[in-house]
Amino acid sequence: MTILESIPRALAILLVAAQLACGAPGSEPAPAEGPGSDSPSASLQGTPGGRLVAALRAEPGTLNPVLAADRPAQTLRYLTHSDLIHINRETQLTEPALAESWSVSEDGTLYTLRLRRGVFFSDGEPFDADDVVFTFEVYLDPEVASPNRSLLIVHGEPVRLEKIDAHTVTLRLAGPYAAGERLFDSIAMLPEHLLAAPYAGGTLSDEWKISTPSDRFAGLGPFQPSVYRSGESLTLKRNPHYWRRDSQGRQLPYLDELVLRFAPSEDAEAIRFQSGEIDILSDISAGNFVALAASATSAELSLRDLGPGLAYNFLFFNLNELAGDDLPAVAARQEWFRQLEFRRAVSEVVDRDAITRLVYQGLARPLGGPVPEGNRLWRNTALEAPARSVESARARLRAAGFTLGADGTLRDPRGAPVRFSIVTNSSNRQRVEIAAIVQEDLRALGIEVQVVPIGFQSLVQRLLETHDYDACILGLGGGDVDPNSESTVWLSSGSRHLWAPAQESPVTSWEATVDELMTRQLTEIDAAARKRQYDQVQQILAEQLPLVYLVSPNVLAGAHRDLGNFRPTILEPSALWNVHELFWTPSRKKP
Amino acid sequence: MRFLSRRALHGLVLLFGVSLLTFVLAELAPGDYLSRLRLDPTVSDETIELMNERLGLDRSAAARYFYWLRSVARLELGYSYQSGEPVAGRVGAAARNTLWLSGVATLLAWAVALPLGLWLAERRGRTEVALASGATSLLLAVPDVLLALALLLLAVRTGWFPTGGMVSLGFAELGWSARLLDLIHHAALPVTALVLTIVPTLVRHVQAAFGDVLDSAFLRAVRGAGIPRRRRLLRYALPAAANPLISLFGLSIASLLSAALLIEVVMSWPGIGPLMIAAVHSQDIYVVLAVVLASTVLLLFGNLTADLALYALDPRIRREGE
Repeated sequence: MTILESIPRALAILLVAAQLACGAPGSEPAPAEGPGSDSPSASLQGTPGGRLVAALRAEPGTLNPVLAADRPAQTLRYLTHSDLIHINRETQLTEPALAESWSVSEDGTLYTLRLRRGVFFSDGEPFDADDVVFTFEVYLDPEVASPNRSLLIVHGEPVRLEKIDAHTVTLRLAGPYAAGERLFDSIAMLPEHLLAAPYAGGTLSDEWKISTPSDRFAGLGPFQPSVYRSGESLTLKRNPHYWRRDSQGRQLPYLDELVLRFAPSEDAEAIRFQSGEIDILSDISAGNFVALAASATSAELSLRDLGPGLAYNFLFFNLNELAGDDLPAVAARQEWFRQLEFRRAVSEVVDRDAITRLVYQGLARPLGGPVPEGNRLWRNTALEAPARSVESARARLRAAGFTLGADGTLRDPRGAPVRFSIVTNSSNRQRVEIAAIVQEDLRALGIEVQVVPIGFQSLVQRLLETHDYDACILGLGGGDVDPNSESTVWLSSGSRHLWAPAQESPVTSWEATVDELMTRQLTEIDAAARKRQYDQVQQILAEQLPLVYLVSPNVLAGAHRDLGNFRPTILEPSALWNVHELFWTPSRKKP
Repeated sequence: MRFLSRRALHGLVLLFGVSLLTFVLAELAPGDYLSRLRLDPTVSDETIELMNERLGLDRSAAARYFYWLRSVARLELGYSYQSGEPVAGRVGAAARNTLWLSGVATLLAWAVALPLGLWLAERRGRTEVALASGATSLLLAVPDVLLALALLLLAVRTGWFPTGGMVSLGFAELGWSARLLDLIHHAALPVTALVLTIVPTLVRHVQAAFGDVLDSAFLRAVRGAGIPRRRRLLRYALPAAANPLISLFGLSIASLLSAALLIEVVMSWPGIGPLMIAAVHSQDIYVVLAVVLASTVLLLFGNLTADLALYALDPRIRREGE
């Protein structure tokens, strides 16, 4: 580990040190609030005005929503733009946004959307169907190469959008698509009056850079960019034409200004949050959350533990068909990895409770399947995390012909010692710690494991190109709750089918079954039938263990206690999803 | 003039070599800017290929390097894959912040080290010299990161100093004097960390340089002639000890720059340190090149300043130059 890679850890230690130094002897840590209820809370009537300072992990790459590839830019897209149909981050269901209503044809291929009237961009120009048509044209244009383009390719064909009148559009799909409504969520409506000319001139990608003056920008979101300070912050000001109003008919958002301060790491964010330089924070690590809850300033903070989110960590083995004489040592070890009983033994011996306790300070949930508890709509609730049993794991290995040597080393049926390495990305310290725990757990079976933390790019290359690895600890999730968001992981032809990507035809029968079920649920319009199909997929994936599911970390967020309507969610952008209704209570009004 | 042109030419060759080496090393590193997206289940391979073309990552390494050289000629220093903007503006702003931090720290460090080193050189063998030697050894042994973290802890604990950033949020609305105070307030801890990093080395060198001079026969003759201490030190000892100290000045800028990179990251100072880390992690290769180039230019500038000072003060070097 380089000294620069050790900085985040050093900052984390500092935060704990600050907590120890600040906490008054004998004082009780302020209790952090536990996971909230499933039902959405009613919004409070807010008071207009004030400035909120939020943290952003890095500078956003662009203000252009079409090109937003990094997470900060996607957060910015959420804050400065609006979509037609929106996924409510609290209910996880779709709700009307710029389309006030819509209908779907019986065959599920034609969506008719009626647009809200009297909606204006932040520069005062009206929004209508021409903007919608223009937006989809831009997103689908291969020359523009939007990262969101793939969302709009359904059954291998681009969606087709047509204007019916100034306030009605239709969207046609090549076939029925179960998650059709959710397609619209991240497609930000663009102002044709500003972007048509650069688009026609082939310079759209040069528009709306991070330093673009605010008078050349227009959006339909609650805020619009105002002042950018390189390396420091981006100030957003209230959009006076924002289309949402509160229940009393008052124009939203309540806040005048939203300042996004760039911090180089999660630990730096936490330190600035603790010292009051940042008002609201999401994605807090478990260690920092515990430190913040115990700090002297915790009384000023409202810390929320939302329970497990959508992200989850897992261990998987290299099951690729290695060509020819490539990587003979890995190919030899694959004989163990391909045995279901071997994978089950590994799954049974891993101490998920220890991972939860030691890596996540108890702020995570052990997993028994690929869908974490945070996904309320789609999780197969019958799948529980397996209880740790060294005896049962040993019995499985014995049944598979493995023996324990006199030196305590597990040996395969040919007498070779069972040794392999686990790679993971060095930039994620939780994964490195999990790998160390797994290493210790496997020692109980006589398996010797080497942990190899490497750079992320190097890891991607090994997983997807060279296949030069034995096993890997990785994480997924954090996007949408819909099953289709991870279909490229579960389909055997998918390029993210991590253990053996991009298969020409399914290698195993269970992968063929998963393919069939995933394809069927993709077009299943009946929600209950779709749920049954996806439950089956989860059941198969839990039994066959292509991934050894480990834990799902809790989503942790915090804000100043006087911030009204602070109701973070597990979906991104967790703490800022309802930024339009956040407000400062009279007890503390920001300048 | 010939001396200057020769140094400028050396500098250009060095910059070219550094940029080429950096580019080659970055090319040899596994993966590229789009690696992160390759594991994103929501982004298709087709989209990644389109982005690959748009960013020019599908072109050969040589073509990309020559493209970058052409953009250097236009003073753009390439485009950031992340922002799509010319790199020069962003790196320029960050380098300015680093220069500000390092410049203030350099001046302060020398302002402390010169009188302290001289004072210690005059008191050889006494207790205060042993104490000072112990203190400088201790400071030298403490890693820069630890020093920065200790100061950050002070900021978190007391609330006296900001824990990051260069200016307050309302900076633009402040008058010039309030702006200056705000800058000083934000720079106080990073500057202190940098000064504490470099002062022990400087004090030891100053002490050694003056120690040699004070022992010399000509200075004993000066003392014997009854010339007052102040004049003796400033008029005779300082010029005689100047040469190694001026060379040290150039080296101290290099040390401060490398220390600044680390301290900027720990203390969230918007200089080239955090920019470089982010660019290296995301493999935004033109930003990496520009940052390395900017750091090299700052180093060359420090060394050139020292060389020019030596050239001006030492007739032997002038003669070599001619």
